[in-house]
Amino acid sequence: MNNSHDPIIKTENLTKVYDTGFRGEQVSALKNLNLEVFPSEIFGYLGPNGSGKTTTIKLLLGLIFPTSGSIQIMGTTDIYSAYIKKNIGYLPEGSYYPDFLKGEEILRFYGQLYGLTGKKLHKRIDEVLELVGMKHARKRMLKGYSKGMRQRIGLAQALISDPQILILDEPTTGLDPIARKEIRDILSRLRDEGKTLLISSHELLEVEMISNRVGILYEGILRVSGTLDELLTSKDRIIEFSNAKNGVVQEIKEKGGEVVDQIKDRVYLKVKSDEELYNAIELGKSVGLQLIKITPRRETLEELFISVIDLAKKERSS
Amino acid sequence: MKSLLDTVKGPWYIAVYTWREGLRRKTLVGFLILSLLVIFGATFMTSFINQATVGDVTTDMDLKLIKDICVTTISIFGILITIFISASVVPTEIENRVIYTVLSKPVRRFQYLFGKFLGIQLIIIMNLCLMGGLFFIALYIKQQILPTLLLWSVFLTYFEFLIVSALTFAVACASSSSVLPTIAGLFIYITGSLTEYLKDVYNRSGQTGEWLDSLIGYIAYILWNVLPNLQRFSLKTQIINSQPNDPPTDVLIPQLVIYGLIYAVCGYILAYWIFRKREV
Ligand SMILES: Nc1ncnc2c1ncn2[C@@H]1O[C@H](COP(=O)(O)OP(=O)(O)OP(=O)(O)O)[C@@H](O)[C@H]1O
Ligand SMILES: [Mg+2]
Repeated sequence: MNNSHDPIIKTENLTKVYDTGFRGEQVSALKNLNLEVFPSEIFGYLGPNGSGKTTTIKLLLGLIFPTSGSIQIMGTTDIYSAYIKKNIGYLPEGSYYPDFLKGEEILRFYGQLYGLTGKKLHKRIDEVLELVGMKHARKRMLKGYSKGMRQRIGLAQALISDPQILILDEPTTGLDPIARKEIRDILSRLRDEGKTLLISSHELLEVEMISNRVGILYEGILRVSGTLDELLTSKDRIIEFSNAKNGVVQEIKEKGGEVVDQIKDRVYLKVKSDEELYNAIELGKSVGLQLIKITPRRETLEELFISVIDLAKKERSS
Repeated sequence: MKSLLDTVKGPWYIAVYTWREGLRRKTLVGFLILSLLVIFGATFMTSFINQATVGDVTTDMDLKLIKDICVTTISIFGILITIFISASVVPTEIENRVIYTVLSKPVRRFQYLFGKFLGIQLIIIMNLCLMGGLFFIALYIKQQILPTLLLWSVFLTYFEFLIVSALTFAVACASSSSVLPTIAGLFIYITGSLTEYLKDVYNRSGQTGEWLDSLIGYIAYILWNVLPNLQRFSLKTQIINSQPNDPPTDVLIPQLVIYGLIYAVCGYILAYWIFRKREV
């Protein structure tokens, strides 16, 4: 079937313009998106509010239709077929599920829509409830669920058919730190089992922790995409010195060193190139400091995100 | 064969779900309880009063009145429930966004709509069975004759409701709230019950030669042709005036059934055509 180097989800010049209202106003929510998600990876789909993440996801699921461009999933453009739908699990943004059903009834209903029945369905319901840690609440009505419980049941329904692809729109929004960690662990485990995950999120730290690749969307345009290693390279290094005495920081600064932190007798300098590195070591030596260690400092996803958005804003205004 | 089964399985689960969900709606349940109370009140209470005042003689007049009340109740509350549920099922699901998770499953849009439509029919049928059943029992107790005519009437009433339901459903598939389709449903029902008058209006129009007059006549003519004639489904006069176990006269039941089904299919196709490319 699919070569593992071929993208499992691929969009070509995907464009979406919403018609709003009677006056013919149009919102261009997505512009020539070329997105590629590869098998067995977690793709972090990032972007500020209103950048078009949910729009992309709804297009992938056939809830809305492209204005132009194409979508390929698992090698086919017939993304509305039962075969493709069977292989996709979807967690929508927010948690809207039939309120009057019990947790397990909801899973039964969705499972049936996937064509699961009888013992197989029953077994699968047990498995996913166990996986998302909701066994205790399976007989309770959804009406009485907390936000986190709803989100978990939502994840469970996305997983019910054991799909190859999971598309999750802000899966951890509104959850407490422990729940977040648990969900994150579940997602990583699914990836390790070979599933492909497309996750839209605002939680950069979280995305950085679990994603293999990310894409940053802004105003409907995909600004960057690539693996974290590709995107977060940086020649920055931090040099740690000890034996710092009073006034030494001032002295270093006067001599042109960039101090990023000072804790007790430790001083931390940041350098951006090899040349700066050697100079800084010399500098430290000259003011009587002792070299402890040099560590490469990777850019954080947050920094990348902010710089990408800033750049985009500047481009627009110029 | 197996694939055919698969195509109807999804809709069936959706139908059952829709039915269960429908029973949670306070308006629907309220209408149902109210109608049952009216039927119950009209039949049992009057018999109680009669016994207390006039003895056990139930006059013909009383019986006619009771039948009139009950038949009217069934059609009024029945149609209200029909319109209400047909107008709201799809818009509600779009509004509360449950539709996202359902349509993202291996369910084609025609299957989804078919399931919803089927669920609506289940509710209408259940509701007719309850109201008709209560009236049936009451009438049987009163007259000691099996009121088979009533069964025919309920049967035909269902096809009347089916028409209104399908057309309302089609409007609902284009709307994002249930207000517009409810109004449309009432309009369809009211004008559909008055098509004889529409014909009358058409026949009399054009006499003054004024353009407004002709326009009204023209509109009436179109409506008369397009709208179903719901009057044909009513056995009310016969129920009131004849014996409960008389066979239905003056109606061609198979024709009416086909008539109803044709409208239902048209309504469903229209609904699908609207919903096919709808963005949710
Ligand atoms: N149904 C709609 N009709 C009109 N405009 C819409 C519709 N849905 C989304 N939009 C617009 O499209 C743009 C992208 O919205 P989208 O929901 O995809 O953003 P998002 O990245 O998911 O944002 P968030 O992080 O807030 O969830 C926004 O400008 C939004 O106003
Ligand atoms: Mg969104």
